[in-house]
Amino acid sequence: MRVGLPAMAAWVCVSSVTTAGELDVVVVDLHGAPATDAVVSVHGRGAPPAREAVTRAIDQHDETFIPYVEVFRPGDRVVFHNSDRTRHHVYSFAPAKSFEFVIAPGGETPPVVLDRTGEIAVGCNIHDRMITHLYVSDAPWIAKSDARGRAVFDALPAGRYTVSVWHPQLRPGKAEPEQAIDVGGEAASLRFSLPLLADPRPDPDDRERTRY
Amino acid sequence: MNFRLRLALLFVTTLVAVQAFTALLAYGVARRALIADGERQLAVGATAVARQLDDISARVADNVQVLSLDFALRAAIAQNDQSTVLSALRNHGRRIGAERMLLVGLDGMVRSDTAAPAGETFPFPDLAEAALDHPAAAVVAIGGKAYWMIVVPVYAPKPIALIAAGIPVDDALLAHLQKSSALPNSLELVTLGGDGRWADIARGDNRVEIAPALAGRELPLHPTLMQLDAREYVVLATRLRESERSAPVAAMLGYSLDDALRQYRPVAVAWASLVALGLAIGLAGALLIARGVARPIEKLAAAAHRIGAGDYAPAAASGKRDEVGQLAAALSNMTLAIAEREERIRYQAEHDAVTALPNRHAAEAAIRQALLARPEAGALLMVGLARLPEVIQTMGHTISDRFMHDAGMRLRPFAQRGIVARATDTQFAVWLDGADKAEAIAIAFRILDVLGVPYQEADLSIDTAPAIGIALHPVHGDEAGALLRRAEVALFAALGAEDPVAVYDAGTDPHRPERLTLMSELREALDRNQLRLHYQPKLRLADERIDGAEALLRWQHPLRGAIPPDAFIPLAERTGNIRRVTRWVLASAIAQAHEWAARGHELRIAINLSARDLDDADLPTRVADLLSLHAVAPRTIVLELTESAVMGEPDTAVQVLKRLADLGIDLAIDDFGIGQSSLAYLRRLPVREIKIDRFFTQKLGEDVGDRTLVRSIVELGHRLGYRVTAEGIETRAAFEYLREVGCDHVQGYYIATALEPDALEAMLGRDESAAARGVRA
Repeated sequence: MRVGLPAMAAWVCVSSVTTAGELDVVVVDLHGAPATDAVVSVHGRGAPPAREAVTRAIDQHDETFIPYVEVFRPGDRVVFHNSDRTRHHVYSFAPAKSFEFVIAPGGETPPVVLDRTGEIAVGCNIHDRMITHLYVSDAPWIAKSDARGRAVFDALPAGRYTVSVWHPQLRPGKAEPEQAIDVGGEAASLRFSLPLLADPRPDPDDRERTRY
Repeated sequence: MNFRLRLALLFVTTLVAVQAFTALLAYGVARRALIADGERQLAVGATAVARQLDDISARVADNVQVLSLDFALRAAIAQNDQSTVLSALRNHGRRIGAERMLLVGLDGMVRSDTAAPAGETFPFPDLAEAALDHPAAAVVAIGGKAYWMIVVPVYAPKPIALIAAGIPVDDALLAHLQKSSALPNSLELVTLGGDGRWADIARGDNRVEIAPALAGRELPLHPTLMQLDAREYVVLATRLRESERSAPVAAMLGYSLDDALRQYRPVAVAWASLVALGLAIGLAGALLIARGVARPIEKLAAAAHRIGAGDYAPAAASGKRDEVGQLAAALSNMTLAIAEREERIRYQAEHDAVTALPNRHAAEAAIRQALLARPEAGALLMVGLARLPEVIQTMGHTISDRFMHDAGMRLRPFAQRGIVARATDTQFAVWLDGADKAEAIAIAFRILDVLGVPYQEADLSIDTAPAIGIALHPVHGDEAGALLRRAEVALFAALGAEDPVAVYDAGTDPHRPERLTLMSELREALDRNQLRLHYQPKLRLADERIDGAEALLRWQHPLRGAIPPDAFIPLAERTGNIRRVTRWVLASAIAQAHEWAARGHELRIAINLSARDLDDADLPTRVADLLSLHAVAPRTIVLELTESAVMGEPDTAVQVLKRLADLGIDLAIDDFGIGQSSLAYLRRLPVREIKIDRFFTQKLGEDVGDRTLVRSIVELGHRLGYRVTAEGIETRAAFEYLREVGCDHVQGYYIATALEPDALEAMLGRDESAAARGVRA
């Protein structure tokens, strides 16, 4: 877990009082390479206690949205920062939330409330290769895979769970892959192999963006 | 076909064959090279076609991609603003030259279509699927037309839909491709129809259609030779990028072999002209060469014919140093050698090696020539050297040859008058042109003088003992051979005579040719029955009755008249004709005996045999056959033989005589007393009778000696048991004396001459009547 989420810390405190199991999920692409930024949702018995709505910032730096994927709870807010010296024309046509802002260099948007669950792909109309995904979900347990493609859930109450994975490069129009698993005394683990499209973001080594 | 023609033909055939072979070879090589070139071009072309189409699709894809990023379009798509989307698609389609633009949802449903109502499933889902990874394109067949179907996603910013652009791949595009790149001359797009046949959906600037030729065969994915519209093409198919759902589409490339070969046509024409020219020149050259070769050979052949005919005039020198010239020279040399050799052979054939004089053959020819030149007179002298056989025997051939050579040298001067030749080993012939008898004899004596000097050699002296026979022309013959023979006859006469020179005398010539013809006439006479038997009666002195007769042969020649037996019997004996004569005589006499016996005459017929008859072992059998044939008793026959015939004959003759005696036939010895009879020998023979020769009886009247001799013979004969007959009785005195001494039979003119059978029979009749009267005439 690259990103220590406040929500997660709260959920750990709660789970310590009950008997808990650990679920270790690994997401790879069809070539076996670790799939970073996969969002793993776990549904089962019960749920951790809900948390306060928060505002999260998506930075735009070097014509890149940072981060690439951000997980939101319904009601959370998002703010886009422009750290570049160019303008950015941020937009979304997503059904969950559509908006359009032109952000001056160094400027930022007003907070946008994400009140509906769903995936919101955000692009820049000026820079085609800029893309970020706001994943708004009410799944009880949710985590993003780290650089090794891992997402670990400890202290899950023993029981049967349904685990689904979403990834921005999953082929569109397809249902999210889903697996069921029993979590108990021993550590449970799951492995997802996803057919992924090519990463639409520019290669960080391709500084000059010579393709264009 | 003569040599010339054959040679020319060989040249021409070789030339034509070589040229034809070369042309075929060149055509084959060019064709193979062109095919290989075509295959190479097609392979390159196929790659080029595929690449150019890909380039087009990539360019179009990029264009579509750019369009898809249009914010307004994306907004319209995201907000599902159908009419805006459709109009934007039309607008963008025109920009990029697409005939059809579609918006396809991520679920594969057509959301907008510029050419058809929306709501259908996009027909090429594989393209839609692949488009998310990269711009997808395929050549597809829709409604008998070919399209590049290019599909790109619409990002907003993640894929929200797909735009598909249909770019027509039509005849114009293919023609443009052909023109803008070095593509082969035929380009065609074909698709597999529902009926399983390949049909063309687009064609470049082609002369022929390839699709129909594909009926019933695999797509030629490797260069293949095909007949298109009766022309040869190398054809290659290349599959284009296809959609799974579309019918297969392939690009057909054709390479016209005929077109490729066309560039070689001027070369072929030039070549054919060269061949024709070469043929003409070669033919003319071949004829010229053939003529150059054949002419001298024909000349040589003519010369060889001439030589064969005996003309040895030297052949005209060809003056060339080639093979024919050498042959001509060799022929010329050969001609000279043959002429020389023939000359030598002729000389040898015409000359005697020892004396170097012409031989008999040449002399005969020369005399013949001389006779033609001077037919009035001439003399041939045959010079014989009597001592020569002796010389050869005592001194050997070496000396005798030198001796003859010397004699030839001595005779040589006489050649001035005519010819001197060596006629035989021991004889020279000397021809004297125009000489008469006197001159010939005179010259003969001069020759004798010349040859009379003995031959001298060291301490040796040989007397030549020459003799000369002369034959004169035209008296003794008018022809060379006859003259030679007659001179030789005269020479033989001279050799045996006192006088060493003799002129030919026809009377003494035992070798007259008419004697030979006599024998053939004798055979003819036997065949034609010109011979007759006369019978001379034999009188038995005891009762003075005629009881026998001697058969005597008479020949009445139709031209020559009567020929006496002496004139032909000895000759018949020498020439082997005597047996036939005897055979005839036996048959005739025995037949006569039969006749007389049949008429009651008791006559013993005496028949003369020759000594030669005794060599014939069949004689007794033949006589027995004749006797039985005519039913004549053997004792009716007496066979007479001369003393000389039986004396000293070998055992076979004695055997024959004994067998005759065994038959019951009496044998008589004829001419007894004048031969050299051995009484002791006679005693061994089965003889029953002896006949005293007329030599003793003719003077019996007056000669006392003969009378004594005859009396002794009669007494001796009787003592030995022989009957005795006396021949040649011509006088009464002889007849009386013989009766007195007791001779058994007499025969002669005093009794009767030889008579014809009828006359004899008549005489017998008289005699018998006289006897009956007891009177003797």
